[in-house]
Amino acid sequence: MQTSPSTLFARSVLASSFALLTSGLALAADKLVIEAGRVITRPGHEIKNGVIVIENGRITKVGAQGEVDKPWDATVIGGPQYVAFPGFVEAQTSRGLDRPNENIDVAPFLDIRDSIDPINFAYEDYLRHGVTTLNVQQGGNCVIGGRGMVVRPVGMTVDEMAVRTDYALKLSASPKAGKSAATQAMALRRAFEELRKRLEKQVQDKRDGKARDKREALFQGRELEGDKAKGRAMEGKGWRVDGLELVPRGELDEKDLQLLELVEGKRDAYVWCAAAMDVRKALDLAKENGFLERTTLVLAGDCWKAADVVAASGRPAILIPPLLHVETEPITGKEVETPVAKVFAEKGVKFAIASETGQASSLPSHHVLWYQAALAIGQGLPRERAIAAVTTVPAEILGLRDRVGSLEEGKDGNVLLLDGEPLSVRTHVQFVVIEGKTAYDRSKDIRLKHLLEGKEPPGTQAGAADFGAAGAGKADAKKDALKQDEAAERKAGEEQRKADEKQSSGPHFSDADAAGEERG
Amino acid sequence: MEKSTMNEALLGVLAFGLLCAPAGAADTNWLIKAKRVYTADREPIEDGWVQVGDGRIRAVSAVSPGGGFETLEVDAVTPGLIDLSVRIDLGFDSVEQSTETPARLEVENALDLWDPRFERELRSGVTSVLVSPPDRAVIGGWSVALKTGGPPTLERRRIAGRAALRAAIGDEPSDGNRPAFFQPDSFYNRRPTTRMGVEWVLRKAFHDALAARSDAARATSETQVYEEVLSGKAPLIVSASTTQDIRTACFLQREFKLPRLILDAAAEAWKDPPMVVASGASVVLPPLTFGGRGGNDFAFHSWNSAALLHERGLTIALSGHNALERGERLAAQPGLAMHAGLPFDAALAAVTINPARMIGIDGRVGSIAVGKDADLVLWDGKPFEPSSRIVGVLLEGELVLDPRTAK
Repeated sequence: MQTSPSTLFARSVLASSFALLTSGLALAADKLVIEAGRVITRPGHEIKNGVIVIENGRITKVGAQGEVDKPWDATVIGGPQYVAFPGFVEAQTSRGLDRPNENIDVAPFLDIRDSIDPINFAYEDYLRHGVTTLNVQQGGNCVIGGRGMVVRPVGMTVDEMAVRTDYALKLSASPKAGKSAATQAMALRRAFEELRKRLEKQVQDKRDGKARDKREALFQGRELEGDKAKGRAMEGKGWRVDGLELVPRGELDEKDLQLLELVEGKRDAYVWCAAAMDVRKALDLAKENGFLERTTLVLAGDCWKAADVVAASGRPAILIPPLLHVETEPITGKEVETPVAKVFAEKGVKFAIASETGQASSLPSHHVLWYQAALAIGQGLPRERAIAAVTTVPAEILGLRDRVGSLEEGKDGNVLLLDGEPLSVRTHVQFVVIEGKTAYDRSKDIRLKHLLEGKEPPGTQAGAADFGAAGAGKADAKKDALKQDEAAERKAGEEQRKADEKQSSGPHFSDADAAGEERG
Repeated sequence: MEKSTMNEALLGVLAFGLLCAPAGAADTNWLIKAKRVYTADREPIEDGWVQVGDGRIRAVSAVSPGGGFETLEVDAVTPGLIDLSVRIDLGFDSVEQSTETPARLEVENALDLWDPRFERELRSGVTSVLVSPPDRAVIGGWSVALKTGGPPTLERRRIAGRAALRAAIGDEPSDGNRPAFFQPDSFYNRRPTTRMGVEWVLRKAFHDALAARSDAARATSETQVYEEVLSGKAPLIVSASTTQDIRTACFLQREFKLPRLILDAAAEAWKDPPMVVASGASVVLPPLTFGGRGGNDFAFHSWNSAALLHERGLTIALSGHNALERGERLAAQPGLAMHAGLPFDAALAAVTINPARMIGIDGRVGSIAVGKDADLVLWDGKPFEPSSRIVGVLLEGELVLDPRTAK
């Protein structure tokens, strides 16, 4: 995967000319040395004055300054003022999509890669807040939503972003909009029953010597050679259709393949639960259909009430904010607050913390991963567990334990350089390195410049298209002019007030109108 | 439902409920030992002590004042937080809509003091709030400054009855009135229906009040209310989110020389700070986010607006709008403001002494000073960090959240 350090800037459609300027400055990225006053390799493990060596995208060495050989030809970034930290991992999100759900109830054949919008602001924001790996799944407003994808938040195309394609299926144990809990449960059961019936019919047709399925496959132009020409006995811990080996895999309906893989235990499932009552249904469904061992529960709302059930299932969970659950006690009318992450931690459930609300794609913007982890600490979750819940645990859930989540030899070179203690409001992500390449540099973050320094991005103002040294100079000149204006305005205001004090207290429409004209 | 988990949660709440109950003979004498005492109006004290007796702060010092009271030991103590835009009301039942200017009415008569949202504020560290009428009328009436806990009677909870006069500019006061265009479809159409109309109603109100000064025949009970604002006896708190609405408020200030103007939900004040500076107004910011939106009318609330306005010398207060999520509540707002560059001291002031001064209740609350109400927040870490916890809350010396039992 080739990512350019200019990707973030290029993503800002306004900044295309600037992107061309910076791509020439791209770091020689094959070998990168990151130095930091503190290197936090994983929760609870820290190296003072550490060095990380990244070669060809992978971490080759992590250790203390002086103990690690630094390649002579490597680019060096960082310094003693920084804290190096593993990139955050978002266990599941429905952000950055065209829309999070199809209106078809059962749509396992859909692939999120067709929905991902690489230039969506969400990915830029993920990068800004230090998320380097994220599992993009359909939203929870579905019965069976479709297949997700693990991506890195850099790249102008889905292929550039891809870490793991054709990934897990999203299912919902909670009612899709317009459904009741009962109809949702029925729709889920029926999806698997119908799969079973269709498979049985295909086996029967084969036994009866009918060639309809083969003709259909040929008509659709499906591949019927090699492995596709072979049948294979059905696997699966839940149920099996005898004789499926008679049907060449290429003759199976394409729309059935993903669900069949689920039943055969060959695909991960993320099951959305909005309420505690849905947890049992989710687990039963997974068990009946043989994919329990590949199930991750996505838990929102009052699912903490089912913490014992989740713990007994042994399955990992993804906790959806808000992580402080508030409900009205039905007898006293008082509000009951429950620290969700703390409850699951005490029950021994392995969980990741996610940053979004699950159902909707437009989100309250304080749903930022590090901020949610920090809030969980403030709600009684031990600090190391909170950090693990946004680094190592989601990496494990995504099956990427050997690649992301911590700073260890052999893993992807996904490193954050922070300017202070991780998870503090005073700390900012200064650099994000993804697979050995600088993907984000706060000093060049155009949107931040706009917000924090009043510097206009190029193209948003007449005459400011030549962003760069000259453009920056102009912005400074503008700022100075603004300051002068302000001083004059302040003085005028004071004089006005003094004058007002002297005058009698009648209304002065003419003054006000004149002031209105001045300000336009 | 899993019984054990539920029970734990219930226990926590019951404990809280019991502590909140108006216990007649509750202990209100404490000695608080903190690694840092953030006084809000003076320098913080390292390893300081706060002595609380009979509901008041008796001593603040770097050495133990003694007194034989029970000692509570925590990481940090700040004054109880103050929210001038708390938005706990009964909705339309809290604002009279038979006229655009029900200025004489007081929202305190339309409040439910048993509303659990007051308790939510209290356990989140907010001890004093300004409750205003909702913005469905142009001048909605008198706001009231209240404590969020204590016996649920107005007499006991009220800090200041007519603490500020509430007005609103923008869509909200005209929203729901009849259309601005085409034919009116009812005899009972309400005006105003546009921003121009809203401004006209406001100007007429103050113009009439000025006219009544020289012509007693024009004085009404309403002009008497406006006179209190014109004379600076009470502040005018105006909801104005967008730049155009903030301009309107500043022009009003200039035209009628309003001595005490507070801009509430002023999301876009950052766009033209000199104008706000010239008006002498102070600013209450709507809840901050990591992104950009906030306030009414889809206003753009730049996430560094608190820092920006502070740099320009404006007096700012932060607000939480009674958010349900902890990450958005008032106690989290200074943290979000700091993330975008506001210094700690300014962030602390923006939720304590600044709002107290804006509505003139700083004689009783807003800082840790001898003689003030013992409204205190006890923290287990650096205040306003999301990873810190409020482990204790004192309201007039009464321990409503107990750090000794907080797990």
